[in-house]
Parts: sequence; C-alpha cells; structure tokens
Amino acid sequence: MALIECKNVCKNFGSKVALDNVSLDVPEGKIYGLLGPNGAGKTTMIRIINRITIPNSGEVLFNGRPITQRDVEKIGYLPEERGLYRKMEVGDQAMYLAQLKGMSEKDARAELKKWFVKFGIQDWWKKKVEELSKGMAQKVQFITTVVHKPSLMILDEPFSGFDPVNAELIRKEILELKEQGATIILSTHNMESVEELCDNIALINKSHLVLSGGVDEIRRQYGNNHVELIYSGENALAPVEGLFSVISDADDNGRHTAVLSLNHERLGNEVLTSVIGQGLLVNSFKELLPRMNDIFIKLVTEGK
Amino acid sequence: MNLHIVNIIIKREYLTRVKKKSFIVTTFLVPILFAALCMLPSVIMLMAKEESKKVAVVDESGIVMPFLSNTETIEFQQFENADPEVLKMKLDSVGMDALLVISPLDSAKKTVSAVSYASKPLGMETSESIEHKINDAVEDYRVKSYNIEGLENIMEQVKPDISLVSYKIDEQGKETLNESGLYMILSMVLGMIIYMFISMFCGMVMSSVIEEKASRVVEVLVSSVKATELLFGKIIGVALVALTQFFMWIALTMLILAVVGGIAGPEFLSGAATADPTAQMAMMPGMDAASAPVPSEMSAILSTLGSIDYVQLIVVFVLFFVFGYLLYASMFAAIGSAVENEADSQQLVLPLTIPLMIGFLIAMFAYKSPDSAVVFWGSMIPFTSPMVMLTRVLFGVPTWQIVLSVSILVLTFVLCAWLSAKIYKVGILMFGKKSTFKDLWKWLKMK
Repeated sequence: MALIECKNVCKNFGSKVALDNVSLDVPEGKIYGLLGPNGAGKTTMIRIINRITIPNSGEVLFNGRPITQRDVEKIGYLPEERGLYRKMEVGDQAMYLAQLKGMSEKDARAELKKWFVKFGIQDWWKKKVEELSKGMAQKVQFITTVVHKPSLMILDEPFSGFDPVNAELIRKEILELKEQGATIILSTHNMESVEELCDNIALINKSHLVLSGGVDEIRRQYGNNHVELIYSGENALAPVEGLFSVISDADDNGRHTAVLSLNHERLGNEVLTSVIGQGLLVNSFKELLPRMNDIFIKLVTEGK
Repeated sequence: MNLHIVNIIIKREYLTRVKKKSFIVTTFLVPILFAALCMLPSVIMLMAKEESKKVAVVDESGIVMPFLSNTETIEFQQFENADPEVLKMKLDSVGMDALLVISPLDSAKKTVSAVSYASKPLGMETSESIEHKINDAVEDYRVKSYNIEGLENIMEQVKPDISLVSYKIDEQGKETLNESGLYMILSMVLGMIIYMFISMFCGMVMSSVIEEKASRVVEVLVSSVKATELLFGKIIGVALVALTQFFMWIALTMLILAVVGGIAGPEFLSGAATADPTAQMAMMPGMDAASAPVPSEMSAILSTLGSIDYVQLIVVFVLFFVFGYLLYASMFAAIGSAVENEADSQQLVLPLTIPLMIGFLIAMFAYKSPDSAVVFWGSMIPFTSPMVMLTRVLFGVPTWQIVLSVSILVLTFVLCAWLSAKIYKVGILMFGKKSTFKDLWKWLKMK
C-alpha cells in the first residue's frame, strides 16, 4: 500500500514551471529514491509532500486521504540545506524542534537522551551549536529529524558532510528505521547508495517524471542482456548466431573473463549449454546490470 | 492556527532573548540612568553649593563695591589700590579664586566696565550673579545722578514683576497648575521612547527572520509548523520581551527612587517628585507659601507632574506601542524574509523607516501646536499615530479620537499582517537571489 500518493501535481512559480503533472506512489515500509539533476524539481516535490508549499493543482494523499497539517507531525524532514540556531544550546534546540513536532516536553527529553547516548554525544547537550563542527551539527540534525518516530522520513542528501565512519552510522540507522516499519524518501546524487538502499525510485527531470519503479526492475529494463562469463579452456569462446555474441574476452593464462550479449534475457540455460558444448569449464556466470549511475546519465542527457 | 504550537514558538522567542546578557544589562542599567537623570538637578545643586568662590575685587569706580554683598557661594574681598596686573598673578597666594576688576567710572556714559580673571572658569551662575550686582550698582548710580527726590522709590514702584500662571481646566472644572514647558519635554520624551521601542524591537524581529533564513533553520521549522504560526509566534514573543523590559524599567526606576528618597529624604528627589505637590512644597526650603501670592515655578512643575493621569498615560502608551509595534513588526518581518543578510535589507526597509521617521518628527514638534491639522492627522494615520498620539495625550485628547485612532491602527495592522504573511511565506524559502520590490509584489500575488 502506498503511504504517500501524489496525483498529477503541478507547481509553478510565476511563469517558471517547477513540476508538471507529476504522480508518485511511495510504498509503505520501503526506501524510495527521489532522483534527478539539480533544479529538476525534487526539492519542490519534497516541500509539497511536507506541506511547506501548496501545489497549484493535483493532490497529495497520506495513507489514502488528503494530507493535512496534522500529518506533518508524522513526517521527519532533513533538508539538503541544513541549519540550526547557532546561538542556541544543542539540547534546548533539539527539545524545541521535537516539541514543534507535537512531542510533549517529557517524551522529547527522554527520547532525545536515548538518541544522544546512542550517538555518543551526551556531552553536547549544553554546548552551543556554533561550537560544533559541521559533521557534529549534522548528527544533531539527524536526531531531530527522527526523534518523534515519524512514519515517513524525507532525507535530502543525508550523507553529505559526514566522514565515512559517520556516513556508515547514518546508513545503518536508515536501514534500522526501515526495519521498524518507517517509510523513507531518500533524495541523493549518490547512485551507489541508491542501488544499495532503495527499493523503488522516481527520476524527475525538467519538472517531469521520466522514470519510476523498482530499482532491480529498472536496471534490468535498461540492461542489454549482458552477462559476465568466467571460464577456463585453451580456446576462446565462439559466439553462436541467434543465441549470443561476445563483446569482450580477456585471457589470463587460460582463464577468460568475457562479456556476452544475449539475444534474449531468458536464454541463459541455452547459452550455458552451448559454452559447455564447446568444451569449456564454467567458473562463473553472472547477470550484468547497468549501474544506476549510467541509467541516470543516459536519461538525463537524452532529455536535453 | 495551532495555539499550542504558537505557544511553544513564543516561549522560545521570549526566553532566548530574555536570557541574553545584553537584555539583562539594559534592563538594569537604564533604570539607573533614569533615576540618575531624575536626581541630577538635586545633585548639581548640592555640588554647586559646596563650592563657594572667593573673589578679589579691585574697584576703580568706587560705586560697585557696596553692592557686592556676599552670598552663599560668593565671597567678595576688596583689595584697595592694588595693581590688577600684579594681583592677578598671585591670586593663589592671597587665597583668592578670582579677580574682578571694575574700571573707573565713565562719567559721560555713566557706566563702568568689568573684567574677571580666574584660573578656573567662574561658572554661569556666579558670573550671572556678579553681573546682576554690577548692574544694580550702575542703575543706582544713574538714578541718584538725576538728583530727584524719592526717585529710587518711584523706580522701585514702577518695576513690574508679572509671570503667567497657567491652569488646566478638566471636564469637571477642576483647576490644576500647569507648566507647558514641562509638557513639551514630557511629550518629546514619550514620542522618543515609543519611536525607539518600535524601531528597536521591529529591528529585532527582522534580524531574527533573517537569522533563521540565513542559517537555513527555517526550512525545518516550516516543515513542522505553518509559516504564519512561526511569524506570529515570533512577533508576539518579541512583543512580550519589549513589554517585560518596559515594565521592568518603570518598576526598577520607581524602586531606585523610593530607596534613594528613603535614604536622602524626599526633597532630594524634588525634580522627580510625583507625590502630592503641596506636601513637597512645604518641605521646600526658603519657599514661603503664604507670602507668595504667585505660585513659584517649582510648585508649578510639581503641580503639573501631579496632575498627569499616569494610569491613562501608561494604558495609551501600551496600547499604541503594542499595535504600532505589531503593524511595523509584521512588515519588517516580510522584508526580512526577502533577504539573506542584514546589509541587503537596508534598501528594502526604507519605505518603513521613512513613515516611522515622519511620525517621530511630527511628535517632536507636536508641543508647539498640539491641535494643528498636521498633528491631528498624524495622530490618526496608523503609520505615524503611535508616536504622535502619545505626545498629544498629555495636552488632553477627546476619548473618541483615541478610540478612533486605535481602531484605525488595529484594522491597518490586520490588513498589513495578512499581506506580510503572504510575502513572508514565500520569501523565507527563496534563496540565492537578491530580492527587489518587484519580487515581493510577485510573491504577494502567489497562491
């Protein structure tokens, strides 16, 4: 079931069109990648889901009914442009943001203490934000995004500004939150993390939705039925008309690594039979899916 | 609007400011300053009295010396036949503070000239007192030179001594002594205070909006609360800071004056007295109420201060400050939402600071003719009325005018707040570009 449904959302700022008839379904309990080049309209889409911006037409459904101001209490938003009050103490600030999300003072304090312990930053409670480094402030900001146990989290470039150790910490947190049943919209330019984390994606380019669906499905769809075959034998593998062609074949002392292009995705068994028939020993046979990065670049440059 | 959320915002806006060092310092320093100003005249009088001057006199005319009677602060000593040139070099060694040299009498013009020498200046009061005495001497000489029997008495009798005694009559026909000079000063002070308060706290709202935008915290905030809730929470929070400061100032000033009055005696605070003027008058040394048919200046001041309706004044002040502030604060917030740093706001706030300035200027000159058309309209037009009405109130304003002016102010505030909120909502999320009035107009029309 879709937690968030955007139906034919249009938004323009004066004469500039930011979103043109975009529809999205964000399934519950999944990580949903919202992709697109800079200025494509992602942030506008996120702001519409957050009710920061009201669309010119179209609607957003939350749990099947039109989203209301009360629903934003169930959303946690980590904007790309982070920011906290510089002169405020970390603890006061986190308390303030948690209370704005509808938490009682008591709950907010208890939950925040837990998170501060979990992230090992208990000592920062009385520090002023301006005394923190950028990465430290990011940690605090992440906590304020998730402390009220939102059922939907919108994370815009959550890893930027973190060192690899902390990025890993955040990545684990995201997966854990998903396990606990949260739905996460992840907007990022880091395609590796999309492949690793996202179940579904949507690609927005120039105000239009150009692609959406499951990540594996899409990769397969954009694949050329390429497989990687590692085999051993004295002779090189010969292509078979109507079955497959050999795109490349690297020979390392009789151990070959070849990329084959299958005429059809379901021909795997026939190809293997043919390879074995040529008297070669199969070490590994693996489907080669295109990187999300390549699909992204292809779609975005084609759109130009 | 979710009042619970607005309350949380108000609380933060209020507490972060009230806890600031600068707030605490000004809250406690200004009353000390106020109290010091109230006590200044008494202090100066006390200090002036202590310092009496010894003046050496070389009277070459022979007519002035008899008139140079000693006073509490000046002691004259004649040095007959002394050479002024020599004497002025050794004033210290003969224990004198100053040398007064009166020239020989010019019998044609029937006058003398006078010069004084001193290492430290004589001071205004001393010089004036000496001038008076010399003038008296010359006058006496001239009167005598007419050789008319009894002329002195005649001269004494023709000299008039009239001063205008103004009474203010209220609706019940009750008369109170009234010192319009004092009203002038008070009305200027009130106009200035309300102008300072409005511009100071509106500036605070604007920088706070800019701070939230520049630090990008605003995007997280508006993902939790509505932009209008944030805007009004902020404006109300700052208003409460202003009112806290205002009432703290009044309370602390009164406390300090009461404590000092208790220690040094009430007459010490005569300049600031708000108590029963007749009681104060009786305590005034050297003021014989029975023998003075004309009220003295001091009693007029006291009576004027006593006749002011402080409750009404404070109510009107708070009313006009609150709504004047709200009107301007919402607009300052709209401007703040359009820029990312304070320097960029300079040009955009001009249309707000100009009417504020005009109101201030009208208020400063309102005392000259509190019933003129400019002042009347200034006290009705909502952009200037907070300052101008405050200055008019002292001179007496019909209640219907106050009610009308407040109503116009409130209505304008509602309208401006609505428009400002529209601009603010869009503005706070616009980054990167320097905004102009054209942009603001565009945002206003946006859905």
